[in-house]
Amino acid sequence: MAGNNKVVIIGANGTMGAGAACVFAGAGYSVTMLARSLGKAAEGLTETQNDARAEAIAERISLGAYDADLARAVGEAAIIFESLAEDLPLKKQFFELIDKSRRPDAVVATGSSGLSIAEMARGRSDSFRRNFMGVHLFNPPNVIVGAEVIPGPDTDPAAVKNVVAMLTKRLGRKVIVTRDMPAFVGNRVGFKVLNETAQLAGEHGVAFIDYLIGPHTGRAMAPLATVDLVGWDVHKAIVDNVYANCEDEAHESFAMPSYMSAGLAKGCLGDKTPERGGFYRRAGKEVFVLDPKTGGHEKFQKPAPIEFVEKMKQLHRVGRYSQAFSLLAEAKGAEADLCRRVVLGYVSYALNRVGEVAASAADVDTIMSYGFNWAPPTAIVDLLGAKNTVAMLQKLKLKVPATVEQAASRGARMFPGGVLEYGRTFVG
Amino acid sequence: MTKPAPVYVLGGAQTDFARNWSKEGKHFVAMMREATLGALEATKIEPREVETAHVGNFAAELYAKQGHVGAFFVEIDPVFSGLPTSRHEAACASGSIALIAASAEIEAARYDLACVVGVEQMKTVDSTTGGDYLGTAAWYEREAKGIEFPFPKLFGRLGDEYDKRYGLKDEHLAHISAVNYSNAKRNPNAQTRNWFMSESHAQHESKFNQVIGGRIKVSDCSQVTDGSVAIFLASEKFASAWARRHGKQLADIPRILGWGHHTAPLEFDAKVAESRDNAYVLPHTRQAILDAFKRAGIGSVAELSGIETHDCFTTSEYMAIDHFGITKPGESWKAVEEGVIELGGKLPINPSGGLIGAGHPVGATGVRQMLDCHRQITNSAGDYQVEDAKKFAMLNIGGSGTTSCVFIVGK
Repeated sequence: MAGNNKVVIIGANGTMGAGAACVFAGAGYSVTMLARSLGKAAEGLTETQNDARAEAIAERISLGAYDADLARAVGEAAIIFESLAEDLPLKKQFFELIDKSRRPDAVVATGSSGLSIAEMARGRSDSFRRNFMGVHLFNPPNVIVGAEVIPGPDTDPAAVKNVVAMLTKRLGRKVIVTRDMPAFVGNRVGFKVLNETAQLAGEHGVAFIDYLIGPHTGRAMAPLATVDLVGWDVHKAIVDNVYANCEDEAHESFAMPSYMSAGLAKGCLGDKTPERGGFYRRAGKEVFVLDPKTGGHEKFQKPAPIEFVEKMKQLHRVGRYSQAFSLLAEAKGAEADLCRRVVLGYVSYALNRVGEVAASAADVDTIMSYGFNWAPPTAIVDLLGAKNTVAMLQKLKLKVPATVEQAASRGARMFPGGVLEYGRTFVG
Repeated sequence: MTKPAPVYVLGGAQTDFARNWSKEGKHFVAMMREATLGALEATKIEPREVETAHVGNFAAELYAKQGHVGAFFVEIDPVFSGLPTSRHEAACASGSIALIAASAEIEAARYDLACVVGVEQMKTVDSTTGGDYLGTAAWYEREAKGIEFPFPKLFGRLGDEYDKRYGLKDEHLAHISAVNYSNAKRNPNAQTRNWFMSESHAQHESKFNQVIGGRIKVSDCSQVTDGSVAIFLASEKFASAWARRHGKQLADIPRILGWGHHTAPLEFDAKVAESRDNAYVLPHTRQAILDAFKRAGIGSVAELSGIETHDCFTTSEYMAIDHFGITKPGESWKAVEEGVIELGGKLPINPSGGLIGAGHPVGATGVRQMLDCHRQITNSAGDYQVEDAKKFAMLNIGGSGTTSCVFIVGK
């Protein structure tokens, strides 16, 4: 990386651009926030100040517009962070501009959450391609510290090493390096589960699925509420991209349910369209929930309690996570079967990405734990016991990951840390 | 008096102070459990080896409507059923009182291995209610009842008293805040490790840095924190066997070299009246430090490698600087200006980030300070390690300078 402290953010008025500015400036970088106009960049700065909860962060930030300031700002920067909309032609158009004025040793990073890094670099200069990579931050970056670094086919390994060190040491990120495949590791695994729960909601209802596959299964937030938070448009972009470009054992889990397409067509994007809602819609204190069969929202009614779910929550409440998962393993009934199918499906799908898009089980753990606030899959294996996990996977006809099979045969634990590292992901 | 038997510090573990256990839907026993299981794992001690347990906790009755907190240690592991346990309370010094009680038992040869757990779950209530609960660490009826955020106001008055006697510039307090936040960025368990802070933000009142009471702004305050810390104290007999088991020499295991413990009148006005003719604003705190130095055979503060002090507010760290003898009374600002207290300085204070940066789960803070002293002496503090640390001190204070506890840890 060029030996100075200057960072340029392209698309700085977006949520992720403003968030990235907060993280870089917070770490002491001198940041230039660029947008279509100075006014738009100023809007981004206000968001950055709100993220930082400090007006004084502006002392480390300057603002600019693409037309007037891009060439100069990019020409001075050590790091150029692109945070435009997920629109490949648009991104490529900016990379062409950046290529013309960047210093030969400046790193160019795209914040894309899943587009092809190779495609974005195509046609650029040698030095651009050597210093170009994906740096996928999770939203909101001032709170969620997971990050994926995705080298392209020509990225210099030394540049990757430097960026990983910078993200880890200066920006406090938990970083993994992934292969350049659709949605990378975090969103590939995460949206497989999220879309699967959306499919199940079509059959079993939204409130029921969010209750059954709720935080007690190892996540900070219920899955369909998470899709509302992320936005249905973003959800669609991610699952469509994986569905069109990846062939794997869970291909059909990425087919977006038709009721969601219908909702999207009506402008239901989740929390960002509060008046139309998504899976949930709030009006004052009242909560309404989507009926996938009709496409309308009905008054939310708490699902009838299920014994094993309530017991798991009680056990998590007092920190007895292992007993909670024993209960999940042994619970009887169709509801328990469904819950096991999703939870074990997560473990199977996540750990089967090792050697494909992810380098190791530890990397999958890191990104699911620090990018999604979900239980690390190997911690779930340990709580269930590796042998027991293999038996459960076989019974559910889910592909047994090689790493789990090895742990079962050696009688070894998989998660490298202890309860202090995974306890937070089990919610009572 | 004969020299008491040595007390060894074997190590321990803490929860991530950034966690919100109410959001996780959890009872404080889960916090105690994770910290204790983590401590067992870190030290490779078997649960059946623990002989006694002491729990430091300030106000579970208020925050969680639950008393009898010591008994919750037994809920951590079925093996603990039947163990002698107790809970200790001295406001923000609760953790230290638990440490003093446990070390006294080791010194008296009653037990060979004690587990000390500090715990506080504070995010069960909103900040105003929490501020009112914290008021019970003062003389509530006289100093806190009906007052919003009484403690920032009391510690603001500590700053005012310095100002009156010696002069005090708020820019020095802002620097103390910035140093603590900056150190916390190196501590993977610090509550504020991903927060923004700069000296200029700390210096100025703004929308995001409002005045809470008197001269105290948000940036001068420690945090509202959920957290638990567990640590093991052992006799020479247990420590020798434990060292052998781990291929270590007994001489490599940190010990409590000295301690001090004094209590001043509860009311802040009474403290100030008592110290009117004294060069030290809080003479009982000064005496606790001198006692610890004497017991540890330390001639002056220069023999320390660093200090974990009680910065519940920037003013309390400002007070600690001259009370430890780093400067003459009233001249703490010199150490602040000269960079003495910074990581890499002559005598780093709060390399962990302290209560301002790392967080302040009230009843756990003393135990956290002891764990950080242990980390420093065993060269295991990672990115906030003080180079070649030989002797570390901790000062833990309850109330407005009421209960002062000091420990010196070294080999």
